[in-house]
Amino acid sequence: MQNAISRRTALKGGAAAVAMTLAAPTILRADEAISIGSLTPNTGGGGPFGPNITASHKRVADLVNSQGGVLGREIRLFQENSETNPETAVRAADKLINVNKVLGILGTWSSSVTLGIMPRCQEAGVIQMCTSSSADIPARDQKGLVFNFQALSPVWGRAIGDLSLRRGFETFNVMALNNDFTGSMIDGFVGVVGRDKILVEPFYYNGGQASYRSEVTQLIGEDPEAVFIPAYVTDFTSVYKEIFRQGYEGQVISVSIATTPAFKDVIGDAANGIIHGVPVPPITSPAYKEYLTEAGLEDTGSVQHPFGTAGRDQMSVLLLAMEKAGTTDTAEIAKAIWDVTTGEGKKTVYNVTDGLAAIRAGEEINYSGASSSIEFDEEGMVLGRDFQLAEIRDGKDVVIERLEF
Amino acid sequence: MSWQILVNGLVNAALIAPPAIALSLIFGVMRFPNFAIGGYITVGAFFAYAVNVDLGAPIWLAAIAAMIGTAVVVWLSDALVFRPMQGRGPVTLLVLSIALTLILEHIVRLFYGADVRGFDLPLQRPYRFGDIRITQEQIEIIVLAIAIAAITHLILQYTRTGKAVRATADNPMLAQVRGIDTGWIILLTWLYCGMLFGLTGVLAGLDLVIEPLVGWYLTIPIFAAAILGGIGSPYGAMLGALLVGLAEELTVLILPSTYKIGVGFVIIAILLLVRPQGLLGRPEIKK
Amino acid sequence: MTAYLVSMLTFTGFFMILALALNLQWGMTGMVNFGIAGFYALGAYTSGLLTAKLGWPVGLAMPTAVAAGFVAGGLIALLSLRLREDFFAIVTLGFGEIMRLIALNEDEITEGPRGLKIDARPFAGMFDRELYPIVYLILVASVVALAFIVVECIRRAPLGRTLRAIREDDVVAEVLGKNVLLHRVTVFAIGGAFMGAAGALYAHYVQNISPEVFMPMVAIFIWMSVIVGGAGNNWGLLIGAGIVMTILEGTRFIGDFVDILDAEKLSALRIILIGTLLIIILRVKQGGLLPEQRFTYKGSQESGRTETQTSNA
Repeated sequence: MQNAISRRTALKGGAAAVAMTLAAPTILRADEAISIGSLTPNTGGGGPFGPNITASHKRVADLVNSQGGVLGREIRLFQENSETNPETAVRAADKLINVNKVLGILGTWSSSVTLGIMPRCQEAGVIQMCTSSSADIPARDQKGLVFNFQALSPVWGRAIGDLSLRRGFETFNVMALNNDFTGSMIDGFVGVVGRDKILVEPFYYNGGQASYRSEVTQLIGEDPEAVFIPAYVTDFTSVYKEIFRQGYEGQVISVSIATTPAFKDVIGDAANGIIHGVPVPPITSPAYKEYLTEAGLEDTGSVQHPFGTAGRDQMSVLLLAMEKAGTTDTAEIAKAIWDVTTGEGKKTVYNVTDGLAAIRAGEEINYSGASSSIEFDEEGMVLGRDFQLAEIRDGKDVVIERLEF
Repeated sequence: MSWQILVNGLVNAALIAPPAIALSLIFGVMRFPNFAIGGYITVGAFFAYAVNVDLGAPIWLAAIAAMIGTAVVVWLSDALVFRPMQGRGPVTLLVLSIALTLILEHIVRLFYGADVRGFDLPLQRPYRFGDIRITQEQIEIIVLAIAIAAITHLILQYTRTGKAVRATADNPMLAQVRGIDTGWIILLTWLYCGMLFGLTGVLAGLDLVIEPLVGWYLTIPIFAAAILGGIGSPYGAMLGALLVGLAEELTVLILPSTYKIGVGFVIIAILLLVRPQGLLGRPEIKK
Repeated sequence: MTAYLVSMLTFTGFFMILALALNLQWGMTGMVNFGIAGFYALGAYTSGLLTAKLGWPVGLAMPTAVAAGFVAGGLIALLSLRLREDFFAIVTLGFGEIMRLIALNEDEITEGPRGLKIDARPFAGMFDRELYPIVYLILVASVVALAFIVVECIRRAPLGRTLRAIREDDVVAEVLGKNVLLHRVTVFAIGGAFMGAAGALYAHYVQNISPEVFMPMVAIFIWMSVIVGGAGNNWGLLIGAGIVMTILEGTRFIGDFVDILDAEKLSALRIILIGTLLIIILRVKQGGLLPEQRFTYKGSQESGRTETQTSNA
């Protein structure tokens, strides 16, 4: 397709010249190596998570390359920063698709970026693997090329609501960070606990503010037994400081991605008692333990790198599916993704090395990952994972409730 | 609840008043809106973090180090970026200052990444006076802001240097003719303001979180305060900070809090339409 | 590679339209506009919503977006009656942020943070998939050309001289019998219309818009384009837009060859590099790469200024 155009058109301009010179060696390599793109939020709102995802992609790709690659070809990884901004991300995706000729773009995190680059990827037949929870993602994926490694957010809201009720709380207030992921947790939560148990109309707040004082005053108004705050770590840290400073003594409930080790480090002892929920990477799973070793982390018994683990699984699943499909045709690879992740009676593998060996030995495999057991529904959304509620005690997460789907 | 909102507003005001005063002073002598303040504040927060957490020094020492460190960065930014391009017009300098704030933010990111950080201090529970809750730290921040306002006032009003700063701000040509070394005065102003930005970084780190964007979050309210008060007027900046701090909190009584950032702008627009020079600014005399 | 260049040229085209509009408003008339992202968003959402929600044809929705930009520009400019240049700048920044907040918060209309999916495209189905991006580039290039001709004609016409007079000293212009407010409103409305057009073109090109696209960062890139290229000079800012896009996107290719740094550090370095290059260009080339041309009027040696300095400094 691109060749046809290049014969017809001649383009000039400084941008063209610079880009051409820089990209020339890439084109030469494209025939031998298989190109895969990594588009992660290394700066901006997703800054705390993106680098983990990228590092995971690279580790898996390097590992496979050191063992001879996939389909006998080297994996070449191209990493771009989405800046957590769809405006930038679309151009980065353009580069990955048209210059680097990637067959998949992995690691997009915020829904707006995943959805923003989707028209581009669909048109070029590029596989997308993301950790975005927007319910719009399956609806807009017309070619069956999008795979989401994160449970959809209404599921989070329902699960946390259910687990909160089991803890015996009678009255709640809810405030959510105003974005697609955290915002749509409100409906699930309110649906489960019942509107009559919510004292103040649930509301949103914007991140990146100079103060969250009035929001917190509103949140703890009428003194509910518990407050639920779906948020990200940066804004949640500021919000929680304010909750503490305004003297709220009730139960604070949030999501585990907001209560990272960095959060506990900042808040110190005052973090004790917070309850938070997350679809669990099976902490006891061999894949999760392997991830900790690969990333050089201590096993603290709590969820670490919730998105980094997904990054490992994305790259592993893509490479396994490629080997299984025996081709670099993306439609075939997409079908093979279900083959290697979902279904009973197959050999369970926890890492890409074992998986590749098993496929080459002609076995049917089911990859079980570090972020979840990785089973996809027919729309490419990861199926409900176990959900757990943990409480911070002495700066450590202690699991208090577990919900199995 | 409404009384608590007043306290909230007062704490907000105390946080943005010192940098708004500094922004106003810099505008007075440099004549351009300096958006690099976001970068300065971030740098200040991380200087203090390095001294407090990496080196294990107490917070007051970290704050002093942050003030000195930020003053040096601010001085360097003047020497390397702004001074060579003085006379290019305020808008060019403004765009330069935006480029500078991007550079500073990402230099910090290069060393510290994007994770949230905090000082080595426990969180405090508030004192309660009826419905009103306020922590000791917040009282200290308010007292500090008042002290800075008073010190700035005394310097500007009663010291030779302060008078020279005012003269330079009023009319640099005239000040020079009257024997004031305006280069030296501008340098002193930068250093003083640099210290205030460094201090703001520390206070913002205490109040919010330490991360590369922390200065950017404060930039718009600081600008709103400085403009509202009449840019170039440090006293106006104090009053502006109070109004912006309260306005942002009172917003939630009438609008969803997601419009909070917008409300500041609407207030500025309305107030400027009624009083274009700001609250305490003097009307601009056209040539 | 060609597809990539076509795409980047299209994106550069959006920048060029915005930069031309800004040059008309600021470079030629001295009205600072930091709300570029707001006009861009207004155009994008107007056209996007009309096609996606009300099923309007693109041919009708896009002109409506232009009209929306025109009206908004005119209304904002009315405020300049009482506002000093730098305060007017802050008000425009506020306009940009409020537009973004509306897009973010009124999610029942705009889809909020989920983002708006736009299926409609101009000339849909008339060209095959390979040819379409080129057709779109031609469409964008035509709008760039139109904007260029309009702005350049204004610059050369007596109107341009009046605008420069307003930029240099609005009081004198007023004394000379020029209706300063009317001129300002006209110029801001025309600029707003072109920004609206750029927004509509952007929306139907990327087919998915969300509030995060319209952060103040967009405005900063356009300002960089105009200042680097040379304020007041329409040729210069076309080059400026090209340079800004080359710096933004060209730095991406460093990552393909440098393996030593992790992605996070590399991303930070890339943005440090963008900022530093901007400062260096401005320092080395005073008045931008192509400074404003001097005007020599018949029978006099009077000349326009070459500096980018504005009047109330």
